[in-house]
Amino acid sequence: MSAVTFDEVTKAFGETVAVENMSLEVIDGEFMVLLGPSGCGKSTALRMIAGLEEVTSGMLSIGNQVVNDIPPRERDIAMVFQSYALYPHMTVRKNIESPLVANKRTRLAPAEREQRVHEAAEILGLTEYMDRKPGELSGGQRQRVALARAIVRRPQVFLMDEPLSNLDAKLRTQTRLELVELHRRLGTTFVYVTHDQVEAMTMADRIAIISDGRVQQVGRPQEVYDRPENLFVAQFIGSPPMNTISGTLTTGSSGRTVQTAVGSFAVSDGTGAPDGTPVVAAVRPEHMAVATTDGAGLSGTVENIEMLGHERHLLARVDDRVMVARLGPEDPSPAIHDRVALTVDPDRAHLFDAATTRRLDDSAVAAPGNAR
Amino acid sequence: MTLGEGHLRRRFATFGWYTTLVALSVVILFPIYMLVLRAISSPIAFINAGQPLRLVDPEWDIFSRAWNDAGLARAMLISVVVTAVIMVGQFLTSVMAAYAFAFLEFPFKRLMFAVVIGTLLLPIEVTLIANVRTIRDLGWLNSVQGLSVPFLATALGIFLIRQGFMAVPRELRDAATLDGFGHLGFMFRVAVPLAKPVIGSFLVISFLSAWNQYVWPRNATDEGAWQTVQIALRTLTTTRVDELNLAFAGAIIAALPLVLLLIFFQRQMVSGLTAGAVKG
Amino acid sequence: MTTTLGGAPDRAPKRTSQKVREGLLGWLFLLPALAVFVAFFYYPLYLLVDMSLHRENRFGIGDPPYVGPSQIVDTLTGSDFIEGLTNSGLYMVYTVPLGLVLGVLLAVAANRRLRGIRVFQTIFSSTVATSVAVASVIFFTLVNPEVGYFKDVSWLSLDNPDWALFSVSLSSVWQNLGLTFIIVLAALQAIPAEMEEASALDGYGPLRHFWQITVPLISPALLFLAVVLVVHALQAYAQIELLTNGGPGTATETLLYKIADPQGIRSIGTKASMSLGLFVLTAVVAAAQYGLLSKRVHYGD
Repeated sequence: MSAVTFDEVTKAFGETVAVENMSLEVIDGEFMVLLGPSGCGKSTALRMIAGLEEVTSGMLSIGNQVVNDIPPRERDIAMVFQSYALYPHMTVRKNIESPLVANKRTRLAPAEREQRVHEAAEILGLTEYMDRKPGELSGGQRQRVALARAIVRRPQVFLMDEPLSNLDAKLRTQTRLELVELHRRLGTTFVYVTHDQVEAMTMADRIAIISDGRVQQVGRPQEVYDRPENLFVAQFIGSPPMNTISGTLTTGSSGRTVQTAVGSFAVSDGTGAPDGTPVVAAVRPEHMAVATTDGAGLSGTVENIEMLGHERHLLARVDDRVMVARLGPEDPSPAIHDRVALTVDPDRAHLFDAATTRRLDDSAVAAPGNAR
Repeated sequence: MTLGEGHLRRRFATFGWYTTLVALSVVILFPIYMLVLRAISSPIAFINAGQPLRLVDPEWDIFSRAWNDAGLARAMLISVVVTAVIMVGQFLTSVMAAYAFAFLEFPFKRLMFAVVIGTLLLPIEVTLIANVRTIRDLGWLNSVQGLSVPFLATALGIFLIRQGFMAVPRELRDAATLDGFGHLGFMFRVAVPLAKPVIGSFLVISFLSAWNQYVWPRNATDEGAWQTVQIALRTLTTTRVDELNLAFAGAIIAALPLVLLLIFFQRQMVSGLTAGAVKG
Repeated sequence: MTTTLGGAPDRAPKRTSQKVREGLLGWLFLLPALAVFVAFFYYPLYLLVDMSLHRENRFGIGDPPYVGPSQIVDTLTGSDFIEGLTNSGLYMVYTVPLGLVLGVLLAVAANRRLRGIRVFQTIFSSTVATSVAVASVIFFTLVNPEVGYFKDVSWLSLDNPDWALFSVSLSSVWQNLGLTFIIVLAALQAIPAEMEEASALDGYGPLRHFWQITVPLISPALLFLAVVLVVHALQAYAQIELLTNGGPGTATETLLYKIADPQGIRSIGTKASMSLGLFVLTAVVAAAQYGLLSKRVHYGD
């Protein structure tokens, strides 16, 4: 069963289309992350689930119920906001209790209310702060109150809109773990919006990558990393991002190669695309190497070597762009301004149709588990 | 010796500032001192003594006489009732209208906002003649409703509280929607508490302008029994010279509520006074 | 992006009814205020125009006949109105600059760290606890021609037609001091301390600092106060009635005093025409007031 279903949902603000023909199924109980750059429509999608934005066209369902016309308070959801949106004039207890008392029709009996609030506070470790006001709490504590206010409703779906972005880096890492743990414990569907791919990769069961109001790819973190469906996903996922270079597919003596303006490299074939097809090749830094023999690979000039401690990145100017290659622990560091040749692991080059930016079928390997 | 010299100069400057402060205090306090002096002194004896700067033949019962015999008790009651009605009325109409402008979509909203702001062009001084006729036609001369109804709504209140409401963050409004608050619940449990500072400032303005009103109650009443305390003061100054101290004692009584306000709500008073123009 | 609470989308019928409900609720919330505004702000304006277009006969008997705009023209060009206008204008000239200067002086004097400064600040604020009527009674003890403390000082004499209005205006100056002081002090205290230190490092003397740093920084507050004081001057009434009853002769009759007409010597049509004149004056001031108000709110306090 799916918890949330977008069926060709479109949302337009006047002339501007924020979400276009979105179809997406969120499976019951999963941790789904909507990932994309700011302004891509992911927050609008989330707000439509919440009922804070109306659906322009298409059908949006929660569980088996079409909710296009259901007001927010009657939807079985809870939401955590980026700013936490706590009521500053109410105590922590009142804040957590708020969803249980705000609506007269669904108001619970005091005893049950008390019990639920206590339970939520317990889960998030807030029991000693119940009589404080949000202004007296730290950022992390406020975030927990926002979470408690959400779980106290026991909703079918949790919606979270960049809930970690107001925390400092250290607390963010810790809270990521806690959210995953909370998800496991509750077993409820999470729909989580973020622009941070690290959050998406570390927490999601599945990621939906969104750009320009459209879903670009849906899949498990490893899948979208290993097998991006289009050029956008390829460039968006991974840090540092993939190197891209355009060229033409040809067949030479050693098999299929991509011919570019600055050299050529072999790729493992399987696309069935004819020779002469214009392509964009994308290669992760860890799948590039600095060649030891002359003449092979792409030639460039070393611009910088970035020391990250556990690894080194070589930045080389190739034609009009900078490409990044990860140096192996044994590799020597070339000097800046040295000319180098970069080679590409043929099995790890992703090929995209230059016209459609779509993945050319079966290019490269990279099924999970196949790595190395 | 430069250190000593600087020290000396600083002491000299301090002395200069204290002198200035005391001199200015005298300018402000002297009229008040005069009022107190003459309220308590026997009027004729004070003049005959050549208006000295001290009490002459003090009549300590003057305040109770002003309160009981000169009708100030009744006038204070009228003032309190009228002020209370105006404050409650202005609070309710302003909060409701401000809520509509801040959170609701309704037809002709922009036009209606212009209608509200347009009333700033029509203070009671301008509409005085016409409103007196309206009140007379309604049979409301000499009545609480006649004294208060024309002031039950104010553009300044709507404007200030609307600003306060609009400062409520959008995500908080969304959260309240999801929590299931209806409009009334959101208004009284979230929006109004969050706009408390602005509302407090506004209530100060509302109190001051209602309590201090003169032109309207002077023209909307013609019987002594319906005089507010401000109007009663005028009546008292028009009596015989030997009873003038009733007027002076009355002025002290009339100012007491504001003195209390200044003492206990100094912060709100300052923010209220700085929030908008106040009629005196 | 139109709504959050009770969102109002445009397609499904259910949501359409919600939109209608929201519209109705908006009007319902607005209605009480609107009723007051119509009945006691806009309808009177219509009444004033109507009254100005009709002229009562000498004894006020029967329905006054329609005379067109002639009465308005006659009134607004007549010596009575001009005198009222002049006196109101003089009242502004007497009260506004003096009020501002004294307010700044009080605030500057009290804005420093000295022992007991709170006492002085309270004293300087104290006149906000007086209404115009109370302030007038206070000045009654000072300038009343029979019993006032300064009754023999000629330039404060209410019997002197040349000085009476000035003498009355001092009660307004005194009464406004508290308000002016509070607002200027708040403006001064909002100036960051670094400003003082920076200008001291730049070698500014105290006077240059005051004119080149302090005054520009508090000028929005001063502008705001100027408008408030102008409004107060335009609305001066109680002090006239309590201290002079418009006299001697008509020397202290301001525009509003003539309109309120406590002795009942003017016809309704004349007073309505004068009210229209006051309306135009008020409109100019209110426009300035609104401009300042929205700006203040925009930039925050």
